[in-house]
Amino acid sequence: MLLSLTTFLPLIGALFLLMLPKEEAGLLKGAAFAFSLLTFIVSLGLIGVSPTGFSSVVDLAWVEPLGIRFHMGVDGLSLWLILLTTFLMPIVFLSSWNSIDKKAREFVICLLVLETGMIGTFAALDMFFFYIFWEVMLIPMYLIIGIWGGERRLYASIKFVIYTMVGSLLMIIAILYLYVQNHELTGIWTFDYETLRQVVLPHGAQVYCFLAFALAFCIKVPLFPFHTWLPDAHVEAPTAGSVILAAVMLKFGGYGLLRFAYPMFPWAAAQVSPYLAILAVTGIIYGSLVAFAQTDIKKLIAYSSVAHLGFVVLGISMWNQKAIDGAVYQMLAHGISTGALFLCVGVLYERRHTRRIDEYGGIATVMPKFLGIFLIITMASVGLPTLSGFVGEFLILLGTFQAYDTWTGLPNFFSHPKILAMLATTGVIFAAVYMLYLVQKVMFGPLDNPKNKHLKDLSARELVYLIPMALMAFWLGIYPATFLGDIDPAVGQIMGDFKSKYAASQDDGPPSRMDKPEGADAGKPTDPDIADRARVRPGLPTGHPSVAPTQMPAPQKNNE
Amino acid sequence: MSFDSSQIGAIAPLSIVIVAGLAVLMLEAFAGGKSRRYLMGVTVVAAVIAMGVQYMNIVGVAPGASNYVFSGALNMDRYAGVFGLMFLANAALIAMLAPDYMREHGFEFGEFYALVLFGSAGMMIMAAATDFLSIFIGIETMSLAVYVLTGVWRKNAKSSEGAMKYFIVGSFATAILLYGMALVYGATGSFSLSVIAAAPPNVTGQAIFIIGMLLILVAMGFKIAAVPFHMWAPDAYEGAPTPVTAFMAAGVKAAGFAVLMRLFGTAFGHTELIYGASGWAQILAIIAVATMTLGNLAALRQENIKRMLAYSSISHAGYLLLGVVASATVGASARSAVMFYLVAYTFTTIGAFGVVAWISSKNDERLQLDGWAGLASRHPGAALAMAIAMLSLGGLPPTGGFFAKFYLFRAVLERSDFWSVFLVIVAVANSAIAIYYYLRVVTAMYFREVGREPKPLKSVPMAAALTIATLATLALGLMPGWLFSAVQGAVFGPLGK
Repeated sequence: MLLSLTTFLPLIGALFLLMLPKEEAGLLKGAAFAFSLLTFIVSLGLIGVSPTGFSSVVDLAWVEPLGIRFHMGVDGLSLWLILLTTFLMPIVFLSSWNSIDKKAREFVICLLVLETGMIGTFAALDMFFFYIFWEVMLIPMYLIIGIWGGERRLYASIKFVIYTMVGSLLMIIAILYLYVQNHELTGIWTFDYETLRQVVLPHGAQVYCFLAFALAFCIKVPLFPFHTWLPDAHVEAPTAGSVILAAVMLKFGGYGLLRFAYPMFPWAAAQVSPYLAILAVTGIIYGSLVAFAQTDIKKLIAYSSVAHLGFVVLGISMWNQKAIDGAVYQMLAHGISTGALFLCVGVLYERRHTRRIDEYGGIATVMPKFLGIFLIITMASVGLPTLSGFVGEFLILLGTFQAYDTWTGLPNFFSHPKILAMLATTGVIFAAVYMLYLVQKVMFGPLDNPKNKHLKDLSARELVYLIPMALMAFWLGIYPATFLGDIDPAVGQIMGDFKSKYAASQDDGPPSRMDKPEGADAGKPTDPDIADRARVRPGLPTGHPSVAPTQMPAPQKNNE
Repeated sequence: MSFDSSQIGAIAPLSIVIVAGLAVLMLEAFAGGKSRRYLMGVTVVAAVIAMGVQYMNIVGVAPGASNYVFSGALNMDRYAGVFGLMFLANAALIAMLAPDYMREHGFEFGEFYALVLFGSAGMMIMAAATDFLSIFIGIETMSLAVYVLTGVWRKNAKSSEGAMKYFIVGSFATAILLYGMALVYGATGSFSLSVIAAAPPNVTGQAIFIIGMLLILVAMGFKIAAVPFHMWAPDAYEGAPTPVTAFMAAGVKAAGFAVLMRLFGTAFGHTELIYGASGWAQILAIIAVATMTLGNLAALRQENIKRMLAYSSISHAGYLLLGVVASATVGASARSAVMFYLVAYTFTTIGAFGVVAWISSKNDERLQLDGWAGLASRHPGAALAMAIAMLSLGGLPPTGGFFAKFYLFRAVLERSDFWSVFLVIVAVANSAIAIYYYLRVVTAMYFREVGREPKPLKSVPMAAALTIATLATLALGLMPGWLFSAVQGAVFGPLGK
């Protein structure tokens, strides 16, 4: 119930806003802000998920004969991503208070519909509804870029849609394929995630399905070389669009890989992982180098996202607990730091209406408060210890470095992930280079551009939305246990499922299932511990890593 | 199977439509110089009453049961019933689009409504036909009405050109159809689909039977505008008055598929006819791929919105053919998927062409995409209706078009062999291409500044029709369950097995 409310409150808000007069821009923005704040408060009630299975589960019939149910739930993986979404939305509304005058009502409605789509995608446990929410996000973002965007907005908006659609259409084929295979095994039509992930496909089919899912998610991440839509979309989108795109929408890539692609097709995942890892490291280095060459602030941050999210894919592809904990953590940290960076760019853009780095310089002397916030945020992005970026990157690199010991499914040439860890570490250094370059060029140096001499420092409204971001950057950096306490068990469970299923799909055979179908009940798992059953299933070879997913030290300890 | 009074109910909807058509003709004769608007009212009321009777009929027939009338020439089962409802809704909505459009462009004919009703009666016969003769009567009743409707805007050269092309190609197709039917008759000695279906393999294996079947396939390809028999479609669609284009794109296509599915599901349902050396499943699969790909690629290049929608309609015929191919193997669920798709497509198409008709003004049809720039800031309601129609045609949730495509692909994948997956991948790639040109319209309406000030028609019935079509498109996406159970129960009877 709480989860449905969190998901649909923004949509209810959007419908409510349709009834308000469209001339009253202030009233519209205020109402939208109120709805998003209310959504955030409601979503706080989701905190405290059970370490196994899903909490706050909603399960209602929709189209019964096709096995489509409205099934949602949260676990440690999705909880903090949902909270990141609901936390950012009020901030986004505050940040666009003055910058959006044209069609204010349509703008806030788009954002609210987008919020429903994003929360729904994180929470959906029915593959059909996952796909629906995934697609529902597309149109509002397309409109946000296309209507309120910059000069090349037409190009950027269409490119964004086409890239996303190509991936997601292949994904729906894989979903349907899995759905049909499950029907052939059990005689039941269902899109239920927990049921479908019990299907063990033969190797060939696994590879195709994995690639179909992974392509959709890697475009979203975006993984090099599928990243080219991102700089265009980021640069042309208005501040609110960039913030949401960077902070939340890119996370669906990592989330999807972890929730769907890896646990559902483990054998294929093991085969493809090395290539994903190599692409991820390429993306880290490439993104960093290209970021350094940019003259446009937003483009620089966009390429830094390519690099930062390369770490996420690297962590996931290593498939050990530390690296994945780090990847999830990095997603949260990137959401805060890059979201805040785009907010800062928005602050500058509102004053000067340019994003060119060389138009700025010496801003620190006229905007001292802004300097403080900006420094915290850039350092968080660089990965300075005690700030948000450090924890995730450290865990990922550590996990990657140790991957040799825990990850047995990799081909031989790849049994030296230490090299990858070393290469990826250069990304951390590069990040310091381009971020400090940005700070230096924009904030310091002589104040020689006359247009910059009379810039106003941050207003109260701007402080209200920037300070929470800075505080979150500290919280994530200083006390990661708040978040890892939920993330770690959830990741452990996903890894457990993955490993038992990996063991079950070692032999290439006809499709089978992990558990025995229990007649008519199998389509509608009432037992919340269905995943656990798979984990402790007898008959696994002892000594295989799958039997001890929690054997590794708890990652919190590594940060002390 | 002789005719008795209990069957009056079964043919009542058809009779109501035909009688209403005749009444409209009579009323037109006495209308003199007065407005013909009330004839629209007659048409809509007749269609709505017929829908009510049709609904009672559907409820009265058990799912899958047959209900023969006219000595087995027509089977008024649920399949015919659901299609009939769709054609009647189509007729009513088209009639509502027409009056102000016709008056604006200076060709207000009362016969228009009569032709719409007669055409719809032909479609209803097609959906119910279980005999070559009734199939032929249905097709010709529909086609003759649509030929005239295409050319009804006499002063417009393009309208006459389109009608001429459509008529010539259509007559050609009819000749091929007749030839095919004659050959099949020569092999089996019967026009009845059930007798043909029961023919032994040594009869159906004969060359004349197979050639006859393939000729019928070609003729149906013309009717549904499948590649390579589609050449008439863009010109006819562009030339026809826009409400007629909607009538063609939605109704004629759906009726063609109604015949195609019943004919090939029953009379030509032998395994060797489906998969043999010249089996229709492979041929239709190739035609389907060609149709969707060519339709989409051609649509990408169009600046004229009516031509763009014409090519898009061709590509949708390709997706639908995929469902027909799948019906050979998975049967009922593919047929119900095709029906669902057609219902969603009907409402979406009427919405899209309805807005195209609405935006036109005298001497300025505004068919170039540039003329649509900034429509959203002047007429947000119409722009929203068009945007929803475009999203539905593109297959994006939460519209009926999405669920229709999803359901169709699901049916094709139900048999998840290599070729099914391949066909769906082609269809999906096509859907991705299609997004581009559908979104171009949305982009023009929402993202660009107003160019020429739009001067749309002021028409209450048109606005009502657009509202109904748009709401239906959304409802099919948000609550597909009811239509889903309707079409699932509507697959045709044991004869099909």
